[in-house]
Amino acid sequence: MTTLHGEIPGAHGHEHHDGSYLERKGGMVSTIIDWATTIDHKKIGVMYLVAVLTMFFIGGVAAMLIRYELFEPVRIQATGDNVGQISGTALANLFGQKDISVAKADNIYNRVMTLHGAVMVFMFIVPGIPASLGNFLLPLMLGAKDVAFPRLNLASWYVYVFGSIFGILAIVMGGVDTGWTFYTPYSSSHADPGHWRVVFMILAAFILGFSSIFTGLNFIVTVHKLRAPGLGWFDLPLFVWAIYSTSIIQVLATPVIGITLLLLVFERLFHVGIFDPALGGDPVLFQHFFWFYSHPVVYVMILPGMGIISETIAVHSRKQIFGYKAIAFSSISIAAISFLVWGHHLFVSEGELVATIFSALTFLVAIPTAVKVFNWIGTLYKGSIQINTPMLYTLFFLFTFSIGGLTGLPLGALATDLHLHDSYFVVAHFHYVMMGGTVIAFLAGIHHWWPKIFGRMYNERWAMIACVLVFIGFNTTFFTQFFLGTRGMPRRYASYPDQYQLLHQISSIGAAILLIGFLLHLAVFIGSLFAGKKAPANPWGGLTFEWEADSPPTTHNFHHEPLATHGPYAFDDVVPPHCDPKDYPIADPLPAGSKRH
Amino acid sequence: MNLIPTTLADGFWHWLWFNEKAKSSAGVATIGDELFMYIFWLSVVWFVFLMGLTFYFVVKYRRKPGQKLVRSPAHHTPLEIAWTVVPTLFLVYIFFKGFWGYADALVAPANAELINLKAQKWAWRMTYPNGAESPLSTRFTYTDAQGNQLTSAQDAPIFVVPAGKPVQLRMSSMDVIHSFWVPDFRAKFDIFPNRYTAYWFQADEVGDHPIYCAEYCGDLHSEMYAILRVLPEAEYRSTIDGWAIPWDQGPVPVGKVLYKTKGCAACHTVDGTPNTGPTWSHIWGEEHEFEGGGKAVVDANYIRESILVPAAKIRKGFPNQMVSFQGQLNDRELDALIAYIESLGANPPAPGTGHSETGAETEPAGSN
Repeated sequence: MTTLHGEIPGAHGHEHHDGSYLERKGGMVSTIIDWATTIDHKKIGVMYLVAVLTMFFIGGVAAMLIRYELFEPVRIQATGDNVGQISGTALANLFGQKDISVAKADNIYNRVMTLHGAVMVFMFIVPGIPASLGNFLLPLMLGAKDVAFPRLNLASWYVYVFGSIFGILAIVMGGVDTGWTFYTPYSSSHADPGHWRVVFMILAAFILGFSSIFTGLNFIVTVHKLRAPGLGWFDLPLFVWAIYSTSIIQVLATPVIGITLLLLVFERLFHVGIFDPALGGDPVLFQHFFWFYSHPVVYVMILPGMGIISETIAVHSRKQIFGYKAIAFSSISIAAISFLVWGHHLFVSEGELVATIFSALTFLVAIPTAVKVFNWIGTLYKGSIQINTPMLYTLFFLFTFSIGGLTGLPLGALATDLHLHDSYFVVAHFHYVMMGGTVIAFLAGIHHWWPKIFGRMYNERWAMIACVLVFIGFNTTFFTQFFLGTRGMPRRYASYPDQYQLLHQISSIGAAILLIGFLLHLAVFIGSLFAGKKAPANPWGGLTFEWEADSPPTTHNFHHEPLATHGPYAFDDVVPPHCDPKDYPIADPLPAGSKRH
Repeated sequence: MNLIPTTLADGFWHWLWFNEKAKSSAGVATIGDELFMYIFWLSVVWFVFLMGLTFYFVVKYRRKPGQKLVRSPAHHTPLEIAWTVVPTLFLVYIFFKGFWGYADALVAPANAELINLKAQKWAWRMTYPNGAESPLSTRFTYTDAQGNQLTSAQDAPIFVVPAGKPVQLRMSSMDVIHSFWVPDFRAKFDIFPNRYTAYWFQADEVGDHPIYCAEYCGDLHSEMYAILRVLPEAEYRSTIDGWAIPWDQGPVPVGKVLYKTKGCAACHTVDGTPNTGPTWSHIWGEEHEFEGGGKAVVDANYIRESILVPAAKIRKGFPNQMVSFQGQLNDRELDALIAYIESLGANPPAPGTGHSETGAETEPAGSN
């Protein structure tokens, strides 16, 4: 989008010829104070990026421990030298606990499994993309200097950290074994009776909800109020549409989980009978409350990922998005329908009428999702496709996310779900959506905007190698789990009968490959920060506003207030800012009088 | 109606996903497998088409330096309507087919055998129409690379059910939420405290099927196994009749059944041979010496204490292994067991009681 230099009245007086937002202001202490008190959305975005990736690391370590334990089932020696001895308790051995009972060994697994789920969901994937990349990019893409409420933005980061500290505290105190879903009456009356750590974990999720609400509210107002002159709703980059839809869900759904979790705390501490039948409550009520939030939140997790893919696929194939409005409206309709499908988590626990209605509504949400995939593939048609790390991740996203979507079908259909519910098939399905969808898209986005955020290029060759390792590792880990599920392996099991061992072992080997891929990515990122080539302002030839800013952007984002003069994906007609027309040849001009699509 | 050719729905492809055919002839199993294979092939066709197209585009339209961009439509309404409507039609069909199988799973046939199922952390209990419970249990066994035998950590009860007859379970939980899943029957349903839920199946072939708990329920969730053993109907009847407690026949026959159903038989014989625990044959009135000194004569109080507080007196030469049955047996049952042991003969023999009852029938199969 071209800026019209000096043509905006009064712009001259406000012009800041300031430096990069990353520029250090003084020594170590004053730099830390500067970051800790910043209201710059870019710094807050980077702080969020560091925080959520730290949580991803903690959750990832837990995932590795899970796969380590599941390499062998827990068993008792019946013959040989050590009759009666337990074997296969890899985690207990790792933590130095010898000669313990099977119950105790399984309990360690249950705690690690809960840790993985709770950290990944509440602390990584829900805030993940919106709070980090969203925070950094939303004002830039709108041509704004910051979000609508910069102080609220900083507050949300501190609330996030505060909530996470509660979670970490619960873990340090010994962890909880409720599962991340906190199902009652196990969580309210049975798990660690009288112990505060369960309350702390629940409070962590409660507090983190406020951080979500703050961010969502901020983004909604920002999109409505801070668009640059000329930037209409249908000129918005699709990433903005996705973040906007996400924010609406966050603001509407999060209060419900907040209330639910408080009720759970009341029941635990004061034995108010809400969910535990022994106290006169209803355990299924909790599941309804919980999923009324947690299903819409699945779309909080995936919509921003879809937004990233819409950007990367357009920029790296230099093609206008096929069916822009279809993608924009499908984001909104997914956000709306997402509130109507929570009951599909209760197919095997609720009445027949409810199950039938929710099954039908679940298929309804599949349609806008499928439409998005068709649009992305349609975008590739007659494009100019460059394979680099963001694009490779984008293509892998199409692969893994399609599998995630298609394997949702037998879970949405009632007859097949009665078998697959709570099995490894579900585990594989949601990892294909959450990890194969959101995490893969996040990685595409991080690579795509890395030069913009940090002003350095990363090593393309090594990043692509890491990307391929992640892809192979991911599919090895999780595709096997589909077969585990259909063949009868229940989820959340610390041990298993013999016939599942081979598939579990293949899955664990896949996890090791995945780990190597992620570590390689980490090395590439660190290498880039310390020794990366300086990034140009627009390394990929993007047309949205953020590519007009410097890399890294200046404190106030733009040297001049930007003005929208073309659509976000008008590659055919516009030479990207800061780019040489020789490198980015545009299409032949349309014959006079012909209509532009 | 076959949704897809048999070669695609059965054989290798079915094995790949399910290992074995569904062992229940209830609609949820037959329709479920059929629908799954249908969705699988539908997904394969879509997936291969979409990924093929993606790969083709990526190769054909790869960036060539200096090449001008080529214009193409930014949207195509008929195409977009088509790719919205066509998948919708498939989804409507899948929904109805899934609903059909589910509806079948909800309504058990009228002639179904009704069995009560209780779940608790971390065990299953079935109560048959005649009030009987199963005394059988087993463990999953494994052989490791060194040839050592290994087992699962907990005893799994073995429940018998009749073949060729629908069986309905009325399920409830004693504590938290559990879920009853027999993968071979392709269905599960949650079990709640203070509420009944139902489950039905019809197994036509004789065989064993594992039962798993599918709803996370705490420490030993993954050890909450049981075995469902399908028997010919006549054998099923005689088996549960054998486990029935004959309250109307006096304490001795009751004690004899409890001996088998409450697990006493696992350690105590009634034919005079010592096992993990002492035999019950001809111990009434016998003087026993204890580990750590002391002795006592076997009478009703001694037996009662040994059942409720086993560790109080450990007979010389036997390990301190028995768990307390406090809370597991009521007074009437304790009386019956005491009467049964008394009926097995005294030592020295009481004058005029030439008791020959040994009670030694087939040992309940403790493992398989």
